[in-house]
Amino acid sequence: MRREHFLTWARAGVAALLSWALAAPAVAAGGGKGASKLVNVADTRGLEPGLSRWIAGVYNESFWLFGLLTVAVMVGMGLILGLATDKAVGLLGINLGKISHHE
Amino acid sequence: MELFEIYLPVAGIHFNVLVLLLIGFTVGVCGGFFGIGGAWIVTPALNIFGFPMPYAIGTDLAHIGGKSIVSTIRHGKFGNVDVRLGVAMILGTTIGMELGANLVIKLEQMGLAEGMIRKMYIVFLGAIGSYVLYDYLTHTRRQRQVKAGLEVAATGETVAQKLQRIKIPPMVHFHASGITCSVWLPVLVGLTTGIVAAVLGVGGGFIRMPALIYLIGCPTAVAVGTDLFEVMITGAYGAFTYGVKGRVELIAAMWMLFAAAIGAQLGTVAIKYVRGYAIRLLFAITIFVACSSVVLKQLEFQLASAITILVAGIGISLVIIAWLVKGIVDERAGRLPANHA
Repeated sequence: MRREHFLTWARAGVAALLSWALAAPAVAAGGGKGASKLVNVADTRGLEPGLSRWIAGVYNESFWLFGLLTVAVMVGMGLILGLATDKAVGLLGINLGKISHHE
Repeated sequence: MELFEIYLPVAGIHFNVLVLLLIGFTVGVCGGFFGIGGAWIVTPALNIFGFPMPYAIGTDLAHIGGKSIVSTIRHGKFGNVDVRLGVAMILGTTIGMELGANLVIKLEQMGLAEGMIRKMYIVFLGAIGSYVLYDYLTHTRRQRQVKAGLEVAATGETVAQKLQRIKIPPMVHFHASGITCSVWLPVLVGLTTGIVAAVLGVGGGFIRMPALIYLIGCPTAVAVGTDLFEVMITGAYGAFTYGVKGRVELIAAMWMLFAAAIGAQLGTVAIKYVRGYAIRLLFAITIFVACSSVVLKQLEFQLASAITILVAGIGISLVIIAWLVKGIVDERAGRLPANHA
């Protein structure tokens, strides 16, 4: 009977110790509050002023703005590069008119 | 090589510009030639060189939008883009992708998604590649018989011709493709390919291109151009949606797009010098390479899988460039056959 009593207390002690050990990092990190959502931030430290820094700045300011910027840059570059490479290929002197579809 | 290292602030990594240019150029050539986005090359390639996966996917999608504009402009001038057909397909694809995404969530809840999707992917790629290869071999055998003056058995009606005969109004004539069919045919094909693409977690170019040929009945070059038109729209949407989630490394996408634009132009112009069936043969080989890469992934050889796809991508784009150079040389020497306009 005494042995069983001792074992019950020992188990409770181990459980308490484990709970404390598991909770300790959370307590140390700011005490039991729910974890806040992770935020992505572009690291601009050490970046020279220029395009990269500006883009990183937009990224840090608003993802919505960054999304719009992404589409605008990709569409704009696609159009400009598309027309430029089209002209460049034209300089090869090949016929770039409509082609007949031959299987 | 440090000279070419740049810092990418969004992904928070240093990356070699030459690698970005190489990947961009390779996928540009393949994309322009096959009418695909090429995410299956770019995403693993970026990932093995140290790009975190979510940024690899977002950056890839962003540059695909821009790159497809380059190819679509050139294909449009060649008369290979059927805008009407593309719009009808987009309607179906959008609904299909939504349904497919919900199906994936259901599979996830049942704990079946991961393993099942990859196995389906392998079966699907194998089936598409085998069918396209079978079609190429049958066609080549018939051509040889015709040349030898042998009697050739009638081919019978193709699946596309059978589907075109279903007259559910409104019937529409698709000018660039030269086909008349119910508008519901491209919508339903788009819906089906959209569901499959969403379930497999891919853009769907490699499914739509053969679907446009074998189910709708487009000439190969028009299938390539029209598919790119659709990839352009979905790529732009992908760029936006991944952008607002903060998962696009815009500087890397810009470098890749720069090289991809040159590659896409070359890949697209190469179409002019090859027959539709040559495109189909190289496409079948590409699909088999993609399939073997997924098998390697399934066997947990991640690095081997990514290297296979990158090396194969470079090899395939070199073949396309070689065809282009040969075509230009032949054209200038006046050796091009009469049916090559």
